[in-house]
Amino acid sequence: MKLFLALLAGAIASAQITPVVNVNSRYVVESIEVSGHDEFNLSRSLHEEIQNLVGEYFDQSALDDLTGRIKKELHAKSVSYRISRGDQPEQVKVNFEITRRSVELNVTVPKFLYHSKQGWTGVVEGVATSGPNSVTFRLLSDDDELVERETGILARYDRKRVGSDRVGLGFQFEGYHQGWSRSTLLAEDQRLDGAPPVPNDVLSVYRTRQNFQPIVTIQLAKPLTLEAGASFERFQDQFPAARTESTNAMVNTLRYHRLLEGSDAHKQALDAGYSLRAATKILGSDFAYVRHHWNVAYTFTRDHNTVLVSFVGGVIIGQAPLFERFVLGNSSTLRGWNKYDIDPLGGSRVAHGSVEYRYRYFQIFYDAGAVWDRSEGATPRSSAGVGLRKDGFSVAVAFPIKDGRVEPVLIAGMNF
Amino acid sequence: MVWGGRLVTRRLWLATGLSAPLGWSLAVPRLLIRREGPASLRVAAPQIRFLTGKTLEQLKNGATVSFALQVSITSSETATNFLGRTFDRFVVSYDLWEEKFKATRPGPPLREFSRLSVPACEAWCLDEIVPIPASLTPSRQFWIKLELRVEDPKEWAAIVGEPGINLNRLVELFSRPPRATQSVTETAGPLKLQDL
Repeated sequence: MKLFLALLAGAIASAQITPVVNVNSRYVVESIEVSGHDEFNLSRSLHEEIQNLVGEYFDQSALDDLTGRIKKELHAKSVSYRISRGDQPEQVKVNFEITRRSVELNVTVPKFLYHSKQGWTGVVEGVATSGPNSVTFRLLSDDDELVERETGILARYDRKRVGSDRVGLGFQFEGYHQGWSRSTLLAEDQRLDGAPPVPNDVLSVYRTRQNFQPIVTIQLAKPLTLEAGASFERFQDQFPAARTESTNAMVNTLRYHRLLEGSDAHKQALDAGYSLRAATKILGSDFAYVRHHWNVAYTFTRDHNTVLVSFVGGVIIGQAPLFERFVLGNSSTLRGWNKYDIDPLGGSRVAHGSVEYRYRYFQIFYDAGAVWDRSEGATPRSSAGVGLRKDGFSVAVAFPIKDGRVEPVLIAGMNF
Repeated sequence: MVWGGRLVTRRLWLATGLSAPLGWSLAVPRLLIRREGPASLRVAAPQIRFLTGKTLEQLKNGATVSFALQVSITSSETATNFLGRTFDRFVVSYDLWEEKFKATRPGPPLREFSRLSVPACEAWCLDEIVPIPASLTPSRQFWIKLELRVEDPKEWAAIVGEPGINLNRLVELFSRPPRATQSVTETAGPLKLQDL
């Protein structure tokens, strides 16, 4: 009781010394803008909080709070706001002005996960940004995305604006040392011995792989972005040793991202992409193939309920190296299956769909799909699982749906 | 025109006209000090301009600007030990639609005044009642020093973070060397109570 009275007395005293001192508090906020392109870099939740102040009376403490949060989220040098007269009487406009640091350095962990059948995957990334220029350096050991474990570095330079705000330029270098699972090597041995049913359009395993990739990014419209460039990739075969081959390809990716704003209670987002890699002898490639990949994801959020529906499809025509082949049975596809059990050499065809429901921290999901080669038929598989997810951290238990036995897979980590 | 046996030219008229306000402003003391009852002094500074430059720009951008004020009584112009001193703070904001200023002394007690012009706002803010220290006899010489600082928004939270104004923080604020663009200091003296 004493504590309550003390808190009450403190609150009253505080209220007495912090009166409404800004005379503009009696005006209604007509609009709030964030200078430059920084508005697009804000998180959706912060963007919503900013827009929630529109139509309310000018509240300096709320804007001061947002100023601090914008500064933190954008890692800005300083954030201030200016208030000016609105277009309507008794209304004001708010404009946030953001000053970027001359050189900004961010270190993040874009992916860190444990898969009980496939082991650890970890990625650490550092990004130094100065104005429109950024340099990314990434260290990784990834056994999740591809049929190989790739361990190495990625270095990338990006310039966001080249002549126009809609055009950007990037150069990327990757250097990896490959690790192969026993099942992949066994399948490779069988292939070399000519044992069926291993397809004959799979290339051999390799020790190292390097890639240099210049890319131009063009914003065709606000939700639509095109990336076009070339990939100059070479790898050293495991057998016979010291033989280097190259797969140089034209690379194009079209991305569509749109937030379909609804009411405060529900939100929808649509992401779609198509990527095309065409390795051609014109670029000095030892191999010729075309790889098509499609993905669509739709997210619907209402209060604490979220539904995610996604689809992935892909086709490879021609003889492609292992890193280009499609994989299912990892942390995002056919969760519960082991990718090395499904197809240790990956496939040249893939189709996968996923439905996921989240309520607060709880998630439940169902995945279905198939990965196969041209010469063999598709075997559809499915899986289901439950998990907990909060602020990028997630732990899930997934079960492959198959006859006979249940072998749960544990997937835990962040940002996957 | 002949005045006192001398020819008064148009140039002389012009020079006199231009220099008169300057002379008047130099003649009027920057700090006005008078007795306010038997135990207090009233210190006012209607000539001091502090709503200028960056501060004025901030206000016209709709922000509030907080000021900390210290009036101290010392036994000599350079003395560092005070016979007495008073702290106060006020917050100024600018009405974007009425184009007038509002000044608030958070107190307690809370005092505020709105629809002020720049000079009126400055005059209202720099008008302080200072208790006469017991050690100050009517014939003893003393100096009065007025110091005004623009508060850093981060410091503002610390100064008013507790119930009432945190005097320790205010003392700390005035103990630091002032930044030229954010402070005003004015001294008057020597004075004697018997002359006021």
